[in-house]
Amino acid sequence: MSLKPTIGMETHVELDTESKMFCSCKVVETDEPNISLCPTCLGLPGALPVPNKKAIEYIVMLSLGANCSITKEGMFHRKNYFYPDLPKNYQISQFDFPVGVEGSLEIVIEDSLHTVEIERVHMEEDTGKSIHLGSGRIDSATSTLLDFNRSGVPLVEVVTKPIISSAKMAVAYIEELRQLVIDLGISKGKLEKGNLRFDANISVAEEGSDELGVKVEIKNMNSLKSLEKAIDYEILRQTKMVQDKESIIQETRHWDENKQVTLSMRTKEGSADYRYFSDPDLPNMVINEEFIKISQNQIKETPEKKRKTLLDTGLSLSDSNYLDKGQRWLYELYLSTVKETGDCKSTFNFLTGELQGQMRKADIGELPQWVNSEKLASLINLFENNEVSFTSAKDILAKLLIEDIDPKSFASDNNLIQSSDNDEIKALVTSVINENQDIVERLENPEDKLVGFLVGQVMKSSESKVNPGSVKEVLLKELFG
Amino acid sequence: MTKDFNIDDISNLASIHLEEKEKLKLQKDLEIVLEHVDALKNIDVKDEKIDIHPLSKVLELREDESTPSLSHEDAMKNSPETKDGHFVVPPSIE
Repeated sequence: MSLKPTIGMETHVELDTESKMFCSCKVVETDEPNISLCPTCLGLPGALPVPNKKAIEYIVMLSLGANCSITKEGMFHRKNYFYPDLPKNYQISQFDFPVGVEGSLEIVIEDSLHTVEIERVHMEEDTGKSIHLGSGRIDSATSTLLDFNRSGVPLVEVVTKPIISSAKMAVAYIEELRQLVIDLGISKGKLEKGNLRFDANISVAEEGSDELGVKVEIKNMNSLKSLEKAIDYEILRQTKMVQDKESIIQETRHWDENKQVTLSMRTKEGSADYRYFSDPDLPNMVINEEFIKISQNQIKETPEKKRKTLLDTGLSLSDSNYLDKGQRWLYELYLSTVKETGDCKSTFNFLTGELQGQMRKADIGELPQWVNSEKLASLINLFENNEVSFTSAKDILAKLLIEDIDPKSFASDNNLIQSSDNDEIKALVTSVINENQDIVERLENPEDKLVGFLVGQVMKSSESKVNPGSVKEVLLKELFG
Repeated sequence: MTKDFNIDDISNLASIHLEEKEKLKLQKDLEIVLEHVDALKNIDVKDEKIDIHPLSKVLELREDESTPSLSHEDAMKNSPETKDGHFVVPPSIE
């Protein structure tokens, strides 16, 4: 029996606003607990919520960025459950009228494009943070500490349809969504800070079957690496269970990073268990055309648009995706440099390989202000036109990263320009031929690997000051006529 | 008529402990409530506009500006137990 996995992702995005969702408490990023609280985010009786306009603009931007339709007349619901990190005993969320519906995101896996359909994008509030004292495990805690600084921070939940078919696809989807919220400027998008948190709903069913298998929700995946591993693990676990004719139960499991397994947490609640009802404190939320337009006008960039711009320079899809998901300065530097070099591949290779590599090695976090596209293009052109060797280009770059130099003048001042002077090359070639008669005798044709060895000898004797292309040309002429 | 609910599930969700006698009484009471609600299902609403909230007032939004609120001391004042600036509650297991 052949089985296929089906995955749906639920992602929470913490919005980057000044104040919380339903009160004016400042959103703080601090280890100091319980310093940004008011009666509303503490859930004290009688406190009333007033929604944050910026957060609604941000969720409309995200919905538009994910190609969703906007629900013009929406509302907030109460999602009821008892847990101490939620002092009201309900979370203000959205149920059947989410802000965004029926969207899609284009994602890249290696060198091909795929589409992930989005079911809904809804607005809610974050909960407080619990710290369980004791052995560290939730089921053997002796008491629980609560910090409500995060309580009420605006949170958007993005839910995909169950159409993701592999761990790799889930990772590519999260990368795209993360880049979208960063490019829109609505969230810091830092996974390690919990700005983006994701759960995966996974099931397996027989290939070709229209019905999905029993859904298991996986939580506690804090990085893309653990997301990929957890999904792969869970698919294997469920596949084995089905093959062994064991029944899968609908439950929530958490990913144990140390043991590299998923472990059962609790049986999954159905939506009826949350007793959703419309929040009587919050009247209907009307998102009119004007509001949508204001939000739309704030969208300057999306990863999809950036990728198209990169593809237009001639780059491959995977290289475009690499720059799209990388740091903003590298994306901009590539675009301005390639305009001057006109060579997308060598510009991409030099910037992502050599430049990034040297910056990492020298621990340079930010590009010095004098290193601009003009200088980098001039350097790329120098070695692309064989005026300097690649080794020299690397040395010039190292110098450029610490000192404001002009690559071309530096190359000539330091005798790095390769000679294309045929007389000089001929003299060097003749001397190498004379010194390597044994090898010359073994040469059979111009394609012989030993030709490369002889070119290398000439380069060595010239201290890489001559153009290797010209050397090969002269050498072949001398040897084969 | 709708009778397919379980009083144990409901008391569990509401975190309210019920004695057997109370369960029987509440089961009956809730069945009556549901029967009343079921009567609404017979109303023909197919030509009616969906009214999604009982209030016709439209939600007011506020500007994204932060204002100082409770001091840390005031926020913690009513808590029976605190530790290192946190509220302390009994171990909470999901």
